[in-house]
Amino acid sequence: MALCEAEKTFVLHGVEENFRIDGREREDYRPMELETSIVSHAFGSARLRLANTDVLVAVKIEVDIPFPEKPNEGKIEFFVDCSANATPDFEGRGGEDLAIELSNSLSTAYQSSRAFDLSKLCILKGRKCWKIYVDILLLECGGNLFDAVSLAVKAALWNAQLPLVKSVHVDGNNIEMDVSEELYDCQKLDIKNAPVMVTVCKIGDYCIVDPNQAEEKCSVGSIVVAVSGDRLSTVLQTGAGSLHPTTLVESMKLGHTVGQRLNQALWEALQQIPEDQDVGFLK
Amino acid sequence: MTIDHKRINGPEETIPYELFQKLNTKSLTTQFNECSKDGIRKDKRKTDEHRKIFITTGVVSQAKGSSYIELGNTKVIVSVFDPREIPNRTDYSLKGEIDCEFKFAPFSCPKRKLQQQDSEEKHYSAIMKQALESAVCRHEFPNFQVDIYALVLHNGGSALSAAIIAAGLALSHAGVPMYDLITSVTLGLQNGEKLVDLTLEEETLCLSPIADSKSHGIVVLSLLSTHEQVSQFFQTGNLTLEDVVECTHLLTKACKDIVPLIQKTLAKHVVKNVKESI
Repeated sequence: MALCEAEKTFVLHGVEENFRIDGREREDYRPMELETSIVSHAFGSARLRLANTDVLVAVKIEVDIPFPEKPNEGKIEFFVDCSANATPDFEGRGGEDLAIELSNSLSTAYQSSRAFDLSKLCILKGRKCWKIYVDILLLECGGNLFDAVSLAVKAALWNAQLPLVKSVHVDGNNIEMDVSEELYDCQKLDIKNAPVMVTVCKIGDYCIVDPNQAEEKCSVGSIVVAVSGDRLSTVLQTGAGSLHPTTLVESMKLGHTVGQRLNQALWEALQQIPEDQDVGFLK
Repeated sequence: MTIDHKRINGPEETIPYELFQKLNTKSLTTQFNECSKDGIRKDKRKTDEHRKIFITTGVVSQAKGSSYIELGNTKVIVSVFDPREIPNRTDYSLKGEIDCEFKFAPFSCPKRKLQQQDSEEKHYSAIMKQALESAVCRHEFPNFQVDIYALVLHNGGSALSAAIIAAGLALSHAGVPMYDLITSVTLGLQNGEKLVDLTLEEETLCLSPIADSKSHGIVVLSLLSTHEQVSQFFQTGNLTLEDVVECTHLLTKACKDIVPLIQKTLAKHVVKNVKESI
């Protein structure tokens, strides 16, 4: 997206007046649409649409061997796929950098055991554990990917059902597991403190959240704040540009408050989802 | 970087022997208390004290600019090469690009690293790029890219910060136009203590929480000191807002402490060059 100087000034003035180009205030989000359990082959899935950004997340769970240095912990891995459907820029290897940036930020945000406790995924110390694959597919890009992706990931993990292990038999080097045959006999993952990311953009003298593509182009610097409960699990700067330490602190404060509100809103939305719903797209 | 399948990568499944040592049975709290007691750390530093730094320029004769840094045990070598046209790019970009490659040497860490970049190294490369982009006058070389290669010879903690400092110096040694000198410091939080310039042992201890509810985590900040601009900020762990704010202040101060050293190294390089040309 290319903007001329006049358009940039228009966006800038809007932010100064606390009345952005789409009528929002500086701390407002665009409307979101969230669906869960839409991929039947996945253990949990979610689709989030934030204005023009569309993200589909599916969770697959497999049995693996724990890392030798962390025998008590399971594993979680994030894969981001920037499909060329989203924008033609992603064709070939074009989206690779963005994909790496997104998956790295997610794995650092989920790194602390306070954000997401991996020890619950351990089946047998040093021998067997669950590995969670979180596959993120970007269907459409309309700015503010970090926020959309983190919300969708949290919703998909909330939706995920971990199979219940009834017993583990150890016979020498052989390990056999008995998994409950009841289809609905599953565990839910504890995602109460899973991080939610907020992108804070600095435009002119003010900071805004949830920038659209035009606003992203006008920003002089932006940071991503991952809020887990009432704490920060990751803060990182994105895009080119530098910030004054005072601005940095202020944008972290803004991200922190907005993140908590967003987390609360997501939690309430998740509680409203009925337990047994049909699986499929375009309901 | 393209993956080279012809290289021998060593056996796939090996475990470092340290994991079998009895030391590992100690709880995290005792391990941490051994590392830092009453504000004095294992190596007799105060919590806000840097390790001894050695830094020099012009170590790689083939590169346009290069530098070598030692932060205590951490040893990093960085080389910067002449700008070249951005490969595989059809459109014209108004600003030049920076291409960073951060790599741990296979023998630099307790666990052997492979020749190809793993995800941690890719992440560090991205952070390095982010930090250096705002320090370099990129409009001076449109449609060109500058390659920066950082190789960690020994990881003794704070390797990323060391690489960023050295890369800043190597860029100025290469004569790449820059706005400011860049310095970077890593800080760790654990059990209510804030430790500046982490060693590898402290780094691993700061990553996982100790039983109580205090903050834990690692913060890396890079600063352009004359302009008072934070060019890169990265935090992991689980911190309260107050802690992060305090860390930011501590780190800005710590970053400024290193600046005179970088200036001196550059001045020394200039004096040497002038003497040689007479």
